[in-house]
Amino acid sequence: MKKASALRRILLYIALVLLAATLLVVASGASPVTAFSVFLKGIFGSKNSFCEVFVKGTPLILTGLACAVAFKTGFFNIGAEGQFYMGAAAAAAVALRCDFLPVVPRVILAFAAGFLAGGLWSLIAAGMKLRFGISEIIVTIMLNYIAINFVGVAVRTFLQDPSSGLPQSERLAAAAVLPRLLAGTRVHLGFPIALALTALVWFIMEKTTWGYEMRVVGLNPRAAQVSGISVAGGVVRSAVLSGGLAGLAGVIEFMAIQKKLLEGFSADCGYTGVLIALLAANKPQLVPVAALVYAAAQVGAAAMQREAGVPSAMVSILIGAVVISILARAWLSSRRKEAAHV
Amino acid sequence: MALLSMEDISISFYGVYANEHVNLEVEAGEVHALLGENGAGKTTLMNILFGIYQAESGRIRWNGKEARFSSPEEAIRAGIGMVHQHFSLVNAKTVLDNILLGYEKAPFFLPRKKLRRQVLELSDRYGLKVDPDALVGDLSIGEKQRVEILKALFRDIQLLILDEPTAVLTPGETDQLFQVLRQLKQKGFAVILITHRMSEIMGNADRVTVLRDGKCVGTLRTADTDAQALSRLMVGRDLTPAANDGGEAAGAPLLKMEHVSVYRSGRKRPALEDVTLTVRESEILGVAGVEGNGQKELAEAIVGIRRRRVKGRIHLKDQELTGTPVLERTRSGMAYVPDDRQHDALVTAMDIGDNLLLHDYSRAPFSRRRVFRRAAIQQNAQAAMEDYRIRSAGSLGAKSPVRLLSGGNQQKVVLAREITPEARFIVASQPTRGLDVSATAFVREKLLEQKRLGKGVLLISADLEEILALSDRIAVMYNGSIAGVLDRKDATMENLGLMMGGMAGRKEAIA
Repeated sequence: MKKASALRRILLYIALVLLAATLLVVASGASPVTAFSVFLKGIFGSKNSFCEVFVKGTPLILTGLACAVAFKTGFFNIGAEGQFYMGAAAAAAVALRCDFLPVVPRVILAFAAGFLAGGLWSLIAAGMKLRFGISEIIVTIMLNYIAINFVGVAVRTFLQDPSSGLPQSERLAAAAVLPRLLAGTRVHLGFPIALALTALVWFIMEKTTWGYEMRVVGLNPRAAQVSGISVAGGVVRSAVLSGGLAGLAGVIEFMAIQKKLLEGFSADCGYTGVLIALLAANKPQLVPVAALVYAAAQVGAAAMQREAGVPSAMVSILIGAVVISILARAWLSSRRKEAAHV
Repeated sequence: MALLSMEDISISFYGVYANEHVNLEVEAGEVHALLGENGAGKTTLMNILFGIYQAESGRIRWNGKEARFSSPEEAIRAGIGMVHQHFSLVNAKTVLDNILLGYEKAPFFLPRKKLRRQVLELSDRYGLKVDPDALVGDLSIGEKQRVEILKALFRDIQLLILDEPTAVLTPGETDQLFQVLRQLKQKGFAVILITHRMSEIMGNADRVTVLRDGKCVGTLRTADTDAQALSRLMVGRDLTPAANDGGEAAGAPLLKMEHVSVYRSGRKRPALEDVTLTVRESEILGVAGVEGNGQKELAEAIVGIRRRRVKGRIHLKDQELTGTPVLERTRSGMAYVPDDRQHDALVTAMDIGDNLLLHDYSRAPFSRRRVFRRAAIQQNAQAAMEDYRIRSAGSLGAKSPVRLLSGGNQQKVVLAREITPEARFIVASQPTRGLDVSATAFVREKLLEQKRLGKGVLLISADLEEILALSDRIAVMYNGSIAGVLDRKDATMENLGLMMGGMAGRKEAIA
């Protein structure tokens, strides 16, 4: 029953978004019919454009999962952006600098390094929270700035391509690039990996004692303590899992799409992850749906801007409004709950 | 003409009526009791009057005119004051500051001296003694309540609503409160007293309106009725809760505490000071006391939630438990029913099945190699729901989130989890707080059953009637230490009350 209502909610929001979109398109002086047909053609017009949805959606699934896991367990990780960069940087360091290893172990090692780097990066915030009681929201945001600029330094120093003066690393060897799944498109192995990780995260959170402990700690740390469940253990675990997933998003973006490390290559995937998690009501199983819907909107908006002259920022405005309405809804229902608790 | 009349008031939450066609009439110069069990809708009705909720139907007439208050500010401006069960005072500010907080008539530049004098006059006039310059955080609960009443009176009110004012007071403080109420009545104030304690009504209220299940079941003059009749009206039937008949003599010592103290960080005086106690098999040891006198620390030191800054030794049977973590104590037979079930005992967003697992989730048959076995969990939940007659929300069964259950059913979930065959010793803290009569009876019967089974129970309760009904022996806590331990046969409301107020040393006062 709950799952159905969450799905219904998403559909309702899509309808509302369409309505608001019409108004915005009219306001920007274009014909809604043209704009929408361009928008839809941008998404479904060709195999290539449709596959772009999955390309853009893949990192969002992972950062969305990262945030969903964190929010579900009471660790308010707003640092997926920084963890994304740290993951990518670690993967780059392994994949580019460990060329003495054969390709397969090198790629696996790069994934592991990316997960660890993201996980450890968010563990800093968990440590500050547990030891000094500092809000993880503040610390993870600050760590974003550090991570982003750390990558800036890295691509100018130890990870810089010696053969070019540009602030970027050398290109990943073709053999180490994640293979594409369909000829003529950019959709790659990262997408099924992201889906598999979604299933794994759902299993951990819902079906294992690990996930149970994390949920208890997140929902009611006091009850966890009274029952003898380690609060620190739960927080550390959710920080590492969450940060690690965001790190993997960076790894995949590096190894499948960008193929080199450079500044600003996340395109705000980490921050968008917060939004994806909210859209999916923090349920891992709904994260891919929310991420793909979001990615499709982005792909369609880009086409609309190209061909109908409607600014693609319109989509960002709409999504911002949707998220605010979700938060308001959650707030309202918690107020009602309070009122009923007499 | 009545000062206040509320007619045909209805309000519902989630389709359940909290008030259904309720009528209430209050005259100037009367103390009007609003009697009913927990959940009968007393507080809801008053929150409607005070502008916190809006009624779905019905009328309020105030001073002869139709009125509708959309916020507490409006109600206060119209002359209604309310003292809530949970005080709304700022601990870090002085009494005077708290009284002036939100005082609308105060000019921008506060004439503190003049207002201070007015506050003092007011407190003299009604016998509400309190130092206006003291920090509220340093006051006792009784004094804080006086500040709340003063704060209400300072705003020129005609009607004062008190929500369960005596729940947190010692018997002595309760007497003082009622003296104040008599004064207010003489001066022409109307007072609405929300309570579920019969004894307070008979001597102190002029009339009483009884609510049951959100409906008004009658308004009576106290002079024309008696406690028995009121109780029947309130509950809807005769009900005598189970009591300890003193059978099953206590056996061998089970829990032994020796010189246990609990220190608080940054404070010199311990919250629990040098407590030595023994609870035997087949024994219920009641711990009486006004809340906040170290009971919570006592419970948490025993079950292991507090381990740091704890001195002294704790044994369960022959096993030393000093310093061991919670789970180890649970495994060796310790169970804990905390006072604050929503925060300490339950994860209200999770379902019944998950909440029952809080101790045993990592053990077979519920999980193997960290993976849950849903069938076993479901079976366990169903068995518990049958044994304890847990009524779930709607058709969700064991899958219903605990937050949707009533207080009584929530407490049953806690009991079902804690009272296992392995649990040899049970710490039950305020186990019937906020429960209705039938759930209370159920909980009490469960605790007595544990005694019959040879287990030991430490019953912490602020409700003296409960302590007297269930205990074999009674320890009284005052100011972090044990003021004395009495046999049930030597204990009375009066001597317990004196000990709770810290008068244990004055033997002549007891005699």
